[in-house]
Amino acid sequence: MAYFQFLIILLLSPLLNGFIKKLKAMMQGRVGPVLLQPYYDLIRLFSKEMVLSRVTSWIFKAAPFIVFASTLVASMMVPVITTDSSFGMMGDVIAFIYILAAGRFFMALAGLDAGTAFGGEGSSREMTVAILVEPMMMLCLFTAAISAGSTNIARIAETQRLLYSPSHILALSAFIVAIIAETGRIPVDNPDTHLELTMIHEGMILEYSGPHLALMEWAHYMKQMLLFTLTMDIFFPLGIATDTGLFSLAFSLVIFILKMLLMGFLMAWVESSRAKIRFFQLPSLLEGAFVLAFLSLLTYIMMGK
Amino acid sequence: MEKLLKKAINIKDHLNEQYIEVARDDFRDACRYLWNEKDAILRLMFAVDERSISGSFKVHAVFSIPGMDRFFIIVLSLQEPVRPAHGPELVEGDDLSFPSLTVDIPAAHWYEREIRDMFGLNPQDHPDPRRLVFHESFPARSYPLRKDWAITDSDAKEWGEGMAEKEPYRFMQVEGEGIYEIPVGPVHAGIIEPGHFRFSAVGETIFFLEPRLFYTHKGTEKLFESFGFEDGVNLAERVSGTSSFSHSAAYCMAVERMMGVHLTEKAEAARTLLLEMERLYNHIGDIGNLCAGTGLTVGYARGAVIKEKLMQLNQRVTGSRYLRGVNLIGGISKEIFPHSDHIRSTLDIVTKEYKGLMKLLLGTVSHIERLENTGVLSREIARKLGATGVSARASGIPDDIRHAHPHLFYDRLDFEANTMAAGDVLARMMVRTADLECSISIIRTILDGRYQGENAAGTRAIPPFAASLGYTEGPRGSIFYWVMADHAGGVFRVKLRSPSFCNWPVVPFAVHGNIVPDFPLCNKSFNLSYSGCDM
Repeated sequence: MAYFQFLIILLLSPLLNGFIKKLKAMMQGRVGPVLLQPYYDLIRLFSKEMVLSRVTSWIFKAAPFIVFASTLVASMMVPVITTDSSFGMMGDVIAFIYILAAGRFFMALAGLDAGTAFGGEGSSREMTVAILVEPMMMLCLFTAAISAGSTNIARIAETQRLLYSPSHILALSAFIVAIIAETGRIPVDNPDTHLELTMIHEGMILEYSGPHLALMEWAHYMKQMLLFTLTMDIFFPLGIATDTGLFSLAFSLVIFILKMLLMGFLMAWVESSRAKIRFFQLPSLLEGAFVLAFLSLLTYIMMGK
Repeated sequence: MEKLLKKAINIKDHLNEQYIEVARDDFRDACRYLWNEKDAILRLMFAVDERSISGSFKVHAVFSIPGMDRFFIIVLSLQEPVRPAHGPELVEGDDLSFPSLTVDIPAAHWYEREIRDMFGLNPQDHPDPRRLVFHESFPARSYPLRKDWAITDSDAKEWGEGMAEKEPYRFMQVEGEGIYEIPVGPVHAGIIEPGHFRFSAVGETIFFLEPRLFYTHKGTEKLFESFGFEDGVNLAERVSGTSSFSHSAAYCMAVERMMGVHLTEKAEAARTLLLEMERLYNHIGDIGNLCAGTGLTVGYARGAVIKEKLMQLNQRVTGSRYLRGVNLIGGISKEIFPHSDHIRSTLDIVTKEYKGLMKLLLGTVSHIERLENTGVLSREIARKLGATGVSARASGIPDDIRHAHPHLFYDRLDFEANTMAAGDVLARMMVRTADLECSISIIRTILDGRYQGENAAGTRAIPPFAASLGYTEGPRGSIFYWVMADHAGGVFRVKLRSPSFCNWPVVPFAVHGNIVPDFPLCNKSFNLSYSGCDM
């Protein structure tokens, strides 16, 4: 049963997105869409026909499946409610990051493939952001991995000793910035904009329609929840089950949902309280976070906590 | 000035308009004199097909000199070249032409191209030989504003052929290493009208931008000619949705000046009040819209809420959210002042909410940081290209029609023409906030007064061939109408000039050197109307 914990991410990730959307709407004084809207959107998109540009190659058609599959594989590697199982050895942070990166690579290729200006812009910007974010994420994870003595996510979650230590706080701050960038949220990207010229993630998938678009969107929802889950596994594993007992799983599930709501609230709050940063100032933001990540590693090595 | 008047063939005065007809050779000099020596502003430029009256086309260039409530209208008559009975056939170069002003007065560039498209009068030595208003599909050598224009069979056939056979429009090409073109539009995401933008960018930096507009040209000026003066008000209201009242007020003013009708005090006060209410809801909306450009969603939502309250107030006071159906030739059609208390109480709420919004915006560093030094329009460019309204005032040009040419109630009110020096997006926002506070105080002052007279003064017959200017300061800038009557007192020609027609050409200069993702923000700060341009 614990082998199927990735289903939680697969099935509940649209709901999390709906929750963030609803929160943002409330912060703006609007009623907002219903919580289940992302599901309705997915159902609607799956039942629509696809429009494909004549100039696209196989990459364009394959990319949604590769992106979706890679996100799904990544979600199998993460302990959601229990550290037992999780396909055992496979749950390695480095593999995790690069499986997601493979999906990103194909998404960027697909953005270029249709030959439109916006797709190219989106891909180029996405790669710029990725170059800055990936090393920072790795550094944060290394801090955790060194302190846990393992790069296996389940082992890190079980042996997390960094709680509330200086290095832990530094790494967490950097990691939150990384997540904001990875999930395409303000101040890095604006998920709700209709201004093509400012898009990053939306720019890459602008040419997609119908089921292809549904897969891309769904993969994006999953990636968001996946990164939230990873944050919790590594920095706040408190409450996660270490066995597969029915009671502990149920308890862990409740804790997990609370954690996700907390992360969702944090994201909605960050998005509502600030404007998007100018694109060329992104490096300063991300480099700042990189310094935090680096300091956290140094702090750990020097102070041992 | 005397020298200019001495050279004139014919001088005609009408209220604060002085029509100075000059010889062809003096046309350029006269305009250049006003522009260079007197620092005059080119308000508008247009042609009239007077062949049925005086046997000639007339080109008008309307100038006004800062600090002087007077319009100097330089007029040039153009006779159609007559082919001698046994002479050679007329060739291309023998087309009607007039000396182009663009090289000396860059602000004339679009007007002259418009005249070429509409009348077939060729501005000699104009640096840009391309069409402006009409796109490739429009038949060549078909000039709709000529009085004898008709759609011929060959025109119809040409339309049927569509674009395929035509020579494509040549965009300016930028060459060099690393330059790539980004075509955007004409169809955009979001509910806006069509316009094409061709960026030449180096990486993310905009090197050159060429906008192409007029996709939905509506032939409004031609349409005016088939309407009566009264029905024209409805058409003027529909030129640009969010400036409905300013447009119809300017149009009515032109017609009233032709008739010699003076508004009652009450009608003047009401029109001034509604003009300011239109400015109010526009400026609040624009300030909120800037937040959509920076992704500050809360600011955007709050701006939209305040704007909605003002539009509901419009609805309650006039029956129309866009203040339509109020203006009449000779006055207004609705009682405004019985709603005084309601307007006051809504203003109180709006003022409070607006203050809260400004506190939020100015307190959000990430928002202000995006606006600062973005989309800088230099004073020089703004002056040369004839920018108007907020765009001009944010670049340090203190031009406000309400001051420059006081009309309605404005000479009895105490207010400033708000300017800023920086010329960036932030400056345009701050000019809007200053304007907005000004509007609120004007509305309050007007509501405090008591006014005599009827709502409408009634109309009078229009003398044959009468012509007059009408003008207002709309939310986007100055709006001009020039209306002329025919021999029987019907509409002969209506020229309208919306602020967007003046301000679109400055956008490429303001975005130069900015990055592509900042373009929507720059564009929003000018808040230009496509419809107001595609007239």
